[in-house]
Amino acid sequence: MACSLPGTAVALQDFAPARLVGEDGSPLKATEVGTAEAMVFAYPYAGVPCFLINLGAKRAHAHGLTSSDDGGYTNPPGVGRAGNLVAFVAICTHQLTYPTPSISYLRYASTASELATAPGRIVCCAHGSVFDPAEGGQKISGPAPNPLLPVRLAYDPANDGLTATGTVGEKFLQRFFQNYKAELIERFGPGGYRQQVTGTTTAIALGRYSRRVPAC
Amino acid sequence: MSTPIDRRDFLALGGAVLVAGAPGIAAGAVPPKAVAPAVATHALATLPKAKGPRLVIVGGGTSGLTIAKYAKKEYPRFDVVLVEKRDLYASCFASNLWYAGLIDLEFLAAHSFLDAAVNNHYLHFNATVTGLDRTAKTVATNKGDIKYDFLVVAPGIDYDYPRIGVTDPGAQLTLAQTYPGGFARSTEHVTIRRKVQEFEGGVFVQTVPNGNYRCLPAPYERACLMAAVFKKRKLKAKVLVLDANPEITIKAKGFHDAFEQLYKDIIQWVPSVEITGVDIDKRAIKTDFDSYDFDDAAIYPNIRAATLIEQLGLMAPSDRSAQKEANIDIRFYNLVGDPHVYVSGDSRRHPYSKSGNTANSEGHYVARVLAARAQGKEIAWVSPETICYSMVNADPMEAISVDARYTYDARKDVITGFSPDTKAFLNRDTAKGLADLEWARGMYRDMFNA
Repeated sequence: MACSLPGTAVALQDFAPARLVGEDGSPLKATEVGTAEAMVFAYPYAGVPCFLINLGAKRAHAHGLTSSDDGGYTNPPGVGRAGNLVAFVAICTHQLTYPTPSISYLRYASTASELATAPGRIVCCAHGSVFDPAEGGQKISGPAPNPLLPVRLAYDPANDGLTATGTVGEKFLQRFFQNYKAELIERFGPGGYRQQVTGTTTAIALGRYSRRVPAC
Repeated sequence: MSTPIDRRDFLALGGAVLVAGAPGIAAGAVPPKAVAPAVATHALATLPKAKGPRLVIVGGGTSGLTIAKYAKKEYPRFDVVLVEKRDLYASCFASNLWYAGLIDLEFLAAHSFLDAAVNNHYLHFNATVTGLDRTAKTVATNKGDIKYDFLVVAPGIDYDYPRIGVTDPGAQLTLAQTYPGGFARSTEHVTIRRKVQEFEGGVFVQTVPNGNYRCLPAPYERACLMAAVFKKRKLKAKVLVLDANPEITIKAKGFHDAFEQLYKDIIQWVPSVEITGVDIDKRAIKTDFDSYDFDDAAIYPNIRAATLIEQLGLMAPSDRSAQKEANIDIRFYNLVGDPHVYVSGDSRRHPYSKSGNTANSEGHYVARVLAARAQGKEIAWVSPETICYSMVNADPMEAISVDARYTYDARKDVITGFSPDTKAFLNRDTAKGLADLEWARGMYRDMFNA
């Protein structure tokens, strides 16, 4: 799975760019992204939650990876002045656990936990999959068959701004919609969850986005 | 912190169980006796003409549903038919949570066989299997015969009441409906929930069988959740756990901690209780030495593969399975001597966990075996994974868990035990309590959705 063959490099799919903004609507600055927890933003569809993560002292690397729904791709490297900002679709590739306003079983564990065992990993409490956000979201342990899917960020050093520009996983996301259609309709209205995000997307700290975040 | 699973847990799993793969018997050496049960109807079932190799799966539990979905994903040419006798699904996994009101019946049962089939491009056929002709590659049902290229039989378990000294067929039926075990049929769960909710005090017995019974931690989890209900209602009640095993069979420290710290005055756990009979009228459980009176009970007898395995002539000889399981190849699940017939899920003769998550994980692998063989290929053996939560407290919800894989010895062709990366998380907490619910929801999604 962790093959880095140059020949397998496949571009991510472009979607309409969306500037990340804070809860007050003002553009989010990269320096405002803390290292303690992930921030959540919707992209490329209104019903798809993504994690924005500041890896702190770590840099993120690109790899040639595979999704069983969507095939081969190369995850983008980290962005920002230190190359330590990454984003992933926050849906577990095992059995599609994802953060909702009531609870998030998926989180970025900046410090070690029972499941994470080392700091700086994404954990899914439901079945114990552990992913490495510095290495393309690849699985470290647990039942997940594939890495978490990446979201490509563009960084503008002139204003320290972040813009989501693309992702991989159209088939995976359509499967996500099928699995959760009723609850997505309840939250976003009929069809609302599959509206493309354009212009801006609001990033909120996971602890504010979800009422409960089990610390597995 | 996670701890390596302790040796006691391993031995508990191994104990009576590792007999399943008796050393010295080469795989594939002994084809089962050709019982050739009658094919009942000689009329073909009304099904669309197969568009590719027909894969018939008998049983719409965790194993059958997982294999139906993933065999089609792995090899889209497969024409998959899932034969299921029930008209309404309900899971056995997570059912203990219902007794304490942590989930509702919809959580267990609002999952449609029809949706699973439509979402995953196969046919659901609501019928009961009555016979098998392996020479003609035909499985008979009460709604007609079905020709197969590959057949998977995944009918689950039945109880083995003679093993607890209840031999009279009438007494077995009476016991099964009066004090059901709650591990085979959904209607048993409805009865046990009623018993727990209606209990007004006294002794509620939960028995634990020996051997490789379905869901090792579940009887202990159920004791905790019943005790939680009785504790909340301030009943003068005792949960008496009569355990055929000398130690709690899995997650022992986590359960002992819960028994002592949460239910000290309610749960009484008695090890090494070999039941030799049940007096239904007097409400007493008998051993060679003692008699235990009860006011109500969930009597979990030993288990065996579903009797369908025996009826179809697929049962292993006693030196290959100590509890009437299927005579299948340890690595590839095909009936010994027949590469077209497979048995998976809890009818397997493997010594590892008989549980929903294991069947789900195993189903992904068996689907790949079938897809490979339909294309004349073989794949390497992969261990199933057992991720298993046990809710030990109801208010707040707190759970313990285990994440296990298994090792295979090619020289002896046996499963030898837990793999070194097996972990047990035995400190109960609310994070695992919440995760328990999502654990179950994930499996429903994996079986019923795209």
